[in-house]
Amino acid sequence: MLDLDRPKIEIRGVSKSYTSDHGPVVALRGTDLKVKQGEFVSIVGPSGCGKSTLLYIVGGFLAAEGDVLIDGAAISGPGTDRGVVFQEYALFPWLTVYDNIGFGLERQHVPREERAKIVERLVGVIGLSGFENRFPRELSGGMKQRVAIARTLACDPAILLLDEPFGALDAQTREIMQDELLRIWLETRKTVLMVTHDVTEAVYLSDRICVMSARPGQIIEEFTVGLDRALAREELVVSPEFNALRNKVWLSVRRQALAAGRENMRAL
Amino acid sequence: MTAQWAARIPWRSLFSVLLLLLLWELAARARLTPPLFLPAFSVVADQLWRSTVDGTLAADLSLSLARAFGGLLLATVAGVACGLIMSRSRFADWLIDPFVAIGFPAPKIAFLPIFILWFGIESMSKVLLVAFACIFPVIIGTYSAARSVSHLFIWSAMSLGGNRRDLFLRVILPACYPRIFTTFRIAVPVGLITTFTAEMVAGGGGMGATLIYSQRFFESATVFAYIVVMLGVGLVFDTAMRGFQTRFLRWAEE
Amino acid sequence: MPRTWMPKLLSRSGPLVLFVVFWQGICSAGIVNVDFLPPPTSVGAALLDLFRGGEIANNLFVTLFRAAVGLVLGSVCGILIGLMMARSEAFRAYVTPIVGGTYSLPKSALIPLFALWFGIGNVTAIAAVFLACLLPVIVNTYHGVVTTPKVLVWSAQALGTVEREMSFRILLRNALPDILTGLRIALGFSFVLAISAEMIASTNGIGKLIFLYGENGTYDYMFAAIGCIVIVAFFVDRLVLAATRRLLRWHQSAVEQEQVQS
Repeated sequence: MLDLDRPKIEIRGVSKSYTSDHGPVVALRGTDLKVKQGEFVSIVGPSGCGKSTLLYIVGGFLAAEGDVLIDGAAISGPGTDRGVVFQEYALFPWLTVYDNIGFGLERQHVPREERAKIVERLVGVIGLSGFENRFPRELSGGMKQRVAIARTLACDPAILLLDEPFGALDAQTREIMQDELLRIWLETRKTVLMVTHDVTEAVYLSDRICVMSARPGQIIEEFTVGLDRALAREELVVSPEFNALRNKVWLSVRRQALAAGRENMRAL
Repeated sequence: MTAQWAARIPWRSLFSVLLLLLLWELAARARLTPPLFLPAFSVVADQLWRSTVDGTLAADLSLSLARAFGGLLLATVAGVACGLIMSRSRFADWLIDPFVAIGFPAPKIAFLPIFILWFGIESMSKVLLVAFACIFPVIIGTYSAARSVSHLFIWSAMSLGGNRRDLFLRVILPACYPRIFTTFRIAVPVGLITTFTAEMVAGGGGMGATLIYSQRFFESATVFAYIVVMLGVGLVFDTAMRGFQTRFLRWAEE
Repeated sequence: MPRTWMPKLLSRSGPLVLFVVFWQGICSAGIVNVDFLPPPTSVGAALLDLFRGGEIANNLFVTLFRAAVGLVLGSVCGILIGLMMARSEAFRAYVTPIVGGTYSLPKSALIPLFALWFGIGNVTAIAAVFLACLLPVIVNTYHGVVTTPKVLVWSAQALGTVEREMSFRILLRNALPDILTGLRIALGFSFVLAISAEMIASTNGIGKLIFLYGENGTYDYMFAAIGCIVIVAFFVDRLVLAATRRLLRWHQSAVEQEQVQS
């Protein structure tokens, strides 16, 4: 039976602490979050609040207290149902663009011809035809970003986990890549969980924005974005609705950043 | 076209080499030193030619190179295996690391008498001594390379469906190739120097043995000719490895 | 502090103790011929005897003296030549082929030649050590100096550094990590070359001593003398590492070192 109300991703009471030279640090405390099928959710918050940690827990890379459920089932380690794009892309430098994109398919023993078809299609989708035999070091930041996304899409994951995916790009490339991500998402309607510190980016891309508190991290405020996706970027970013929402989110994050700053001062 | 071609030639470098050879020749011809100490360049070149023609040079060189590369091969295979195992197993790390810590800085040539005692004065002792001399940098290089593989690569491979074997063969090992090759580049001159020295001390044929016999019988021309050949061998291998690196490990460049 | 390093030292020496026990075991059980592998007990006795007689101390001193003189001379000249190569394009162009050629020459090949020129003894050994130490220091110093970021030089100029101060205040400081890398390589070479030279052309020194024990068939003494070299080389290397760490507190590699250790 298909349960329409059941969230695609459910995070229940997730806590994570780790030891440092200066004693134990609580990164996350009792975090809850639900993401619906096909929804694009962003997590924003001050730096060091544990938002990337949360993403790595959902990815299955880090163990934590609490539950992470995908389609109602607890996760056990990383899986191809959740594709991850890291901030620094983590492309394998010893593989070409073609082999990077095909890496996951090869691991799943997809036959060579089928693999070639999928990889070639994706190379086309990301607009890098003719660059198949380049190594990552021969690519610009934006191109590497495209390959990282394509590598993740090749396994056709139901969920995309994006960790500051545009953090290492210059401002112009970042906007272009945001538009491409939006286009890919509108086509595939995958469930997306993205971590970012860029409020404008979160408002532009997401259905819903969760603001995380300073450490120990918790989701303390949510904003639903009801913007018209049909509008072009130029129209959207100057619209009063866009700016009103952006300012609200920005103020919320800023309160947390200031709280974190005070906390750090006290710790000193 | 001609100008471009001429500009590519490092005139000054060529000049200093030619000047050195000229000074050498003149000093020897002018009898500034006895010919025993410094045979003229032309005499050395002539000796080099004669050793090449009568086949002694080829025999010595091939014997020495076989010993050096036999030892290097052993050291690379065993050292890479050791380094990888140490990087993945705490127990292996605990067991092997103290020996590496002590063996790495030790002057391995001092062990030569032990190797002669155990394995005789022929090739076996030399091959094993070379392997012993070269294995420590290979272990250390492989170990630290394997330990510093970014966890993002490992996570990426896991989320793309790689199992443990994939992680080892497709991610950790390839990520280590450049460092393994760099340590191999360090190990090659160590292998050559160890071979030549062991041959000089223990005899048993090869470049080093002939070199030391020539010196004992005051055949200075042969001494110089063999040193020139050893210099050439070092240069050829260094250039070859550089070529290999730019050809096959280009992805690792910054 | 002692609480943290004592157990670590004990744990680290565990495998070494096991090794010695194993060695003694196979000797006592008669698995190996003790003529070829003397047991640790007789090697230990030989070591004690060597120390009492002063035979080790004297020869070791000779070897260390040769290694140290060659190393110091080679390092000083190497740093100067490396610096000059980095600063003067003309000098670099003339010197590069000579440096490149001798760099890949197995330096022990020169020992017979030096023996021919300088006879048997100190000068031959020191000359061989000198040449072996010179080249890695040149190459590393050169690399460290040429990779000095332009902005550092410009900042220094803007802050009133005159040209003659530039080499020592900025360029060699920036090159220090590379120079120390070169020095550590040179240190290894200095031992190897000193011992090789002694084995080939010398009447004294620890290298000659080992070789004589080997020829006379007193293998327990041979093992003991080799053990001495290994221990000395180990502690000298540790000393250099500790000094390097102290000199490079400011450098990125120091941070990485700590991370690797923790």
